[in-house]
Amino acid sequence: MNKVSRFLKTFFLVDILRGLAVTMRFYFGRKITIQYPEEVQPSPERFKGILRLYKDENGKPLCIACKACRRACGTNCFDIEGVRDPGTRTMRPVKYDWKLDRCTFCGLCVEACPTTPKSIRFSEEFRMATADKSRLHFHLEDMYLKGKDLQKFFQGGSKT
Amino acid sequence: MTNTGFVFDVLIPVGKIVAVILYPMLMTIVMIWLERRVVALMQKRLGPNRVGFQGILQPFADAFKLFLKEDIMQDQADPLLFKVAPVLVMFSSLLAFCFVPLGEPIRIGTYQLTLWIAQSPVGLLLVLGLSSISVFGVIFGGWASNSKYPLMGALRSVVQILSYEIPIGLTVLSVVFFARSIDLVEIVNHQSQAKIWFGFMLPVSFVVFWISAIAETNRAPFDLPEAESELVAGYHTEYSGMKFAFFYIAEYAHMVLVSSLVVIMFFGGWLAPFPNVPAFAFLKVIPGFVWYLVKIMFFLYLYVWIRATLPRYRFDELIRLAWKWLIPLALLNFLVVALIRYIL
Repeated sequence: MNKVSRFLKTFFLVDILRGLAVTMRFYFGRKITIQYPEEVQPSPERFKGILRLYKDENGKPLCIACKACRRACGTNCFDIEGVRDPGTRTMRPVKYDWKLDRCTFCGLCVEACPTTPKSIRFSEEFRMATADKSRLHFHLEDMYLKGKDLQKFFQGGSKT
Repeated sequence: MTNTGFVFDVLIPVGKIVAVILYPMLMTIVMIWLERRVVALMQKRLGPNRVGFQGILQPFADAFKLFLKEDIMQDQADPLLFKVAPVLVMFSSLLAFCFVPLGEPIRIGTYQLTLWIAQSPVGLLLVLGLSSISVFGVIFGGWASNSKYPLMGALRSVVQILSYEIPIGLTVLSVVFFARSIDLVEIVNHQSQAKIWFGFMLPVSFVVFWISAIAETNRAPFDLPEAESELVAGYHTEYSGMKFAFFYIAEYAHMVLVSSLVVIMFFGGWLAPFPNVPAFAFLKVIPGFVWYLVKIMFFLYLYVWIRATLPRYRFDELIRLAWKWLIPLALLNFLVVALIRYIL
């Protein structure tokens, strides 16, 4: 009986018709393609994009030029100098050079950062292509760039 | 008077010849787009949708790329056969279209414009024969490349087509027995008189023919001669540029040809559906050519649909399917059809 039913199933192409139904369902189903330049995949929570310096809610820089990131860095990406702000008596960086071409995205600098919230953090930006190698060397003002300004920087636009 | 003579004797035949060459090319362009989009949609992807509206210009971009590509022939190749092979494949596919009726004759005054180039009393045989010639192109291409993967592809192709020609012949015979003619136009006319399409009268013939036709056009799941995971690209591995494009176009033209044959033999060619239902009489207003196109588009879609669904057969399974299942089934079907036809 089992043999007969199996034969009938094969003979009338039941499984092939079922397969065709499956592909037809996919045909009208939801597509998983993300059309890249228009849509960007949402990045995971701990995504390691390009490093960025952050400011607090009032627009004041968080960095206190303690150079902990520089000491933690395994590849010597950083060159930092700070001066004491006479008014608030806190250290602020006046020079913050960072080399993207040396960075291994290990995250040691982020771990070492003592401020709360952390001054240096990974951003969600993953578009770091540039045709000019000098664009891989960031200075203090470049470290705050994001989004379109950062892309303009990479494309060789004005170093704002 | 001489003016109209010139039109009927020269312009219309030349126009038909141009149309017969352009028609498979146009269908190829449509098919390349359709295949890439439909397979993508069935795999939950979007497919090419950037070049033109919904990617409709993608085939032109592909063709342009092929035009510009360097035409390479390696030193060890047999130069004559290497050049003949793509021409032979293309020639056989295009020539067969001369005998395919695309629609009912159109009356212009006293002149009757037939939508086919030649109506031959042995049209079906000619078309099948010509479509079989293309296998020579495949063999020559594989042999002349002087390379192992094309040779393997060509060998597979020979065995496959030898196996699948037999069920095709047997199922075609059952249609011929009912139509009492091997003239393609006559077969359609007979379906028009019988008011039923042979596909519904002879379902077994249709299914066997369709499976064999997929195998003969080297399409998935029977695309072993060009199985890219095993043989790089099969018999056209060593071809590039326009020679490769010839193989590519010929393959799609062959698919269009086989779909046309299925439509003509089993689904009434240019006839409107539901001839018996008076409520659907308005369908006859639509010209036959449109019905023919709609029908072959369905079968071309079915090709792509099957390709997106089924994995490739192993070679011994393919041969077993042909010799142990399709040929006995086709023989039995032929016997039954012949008996019924004898009694009726």
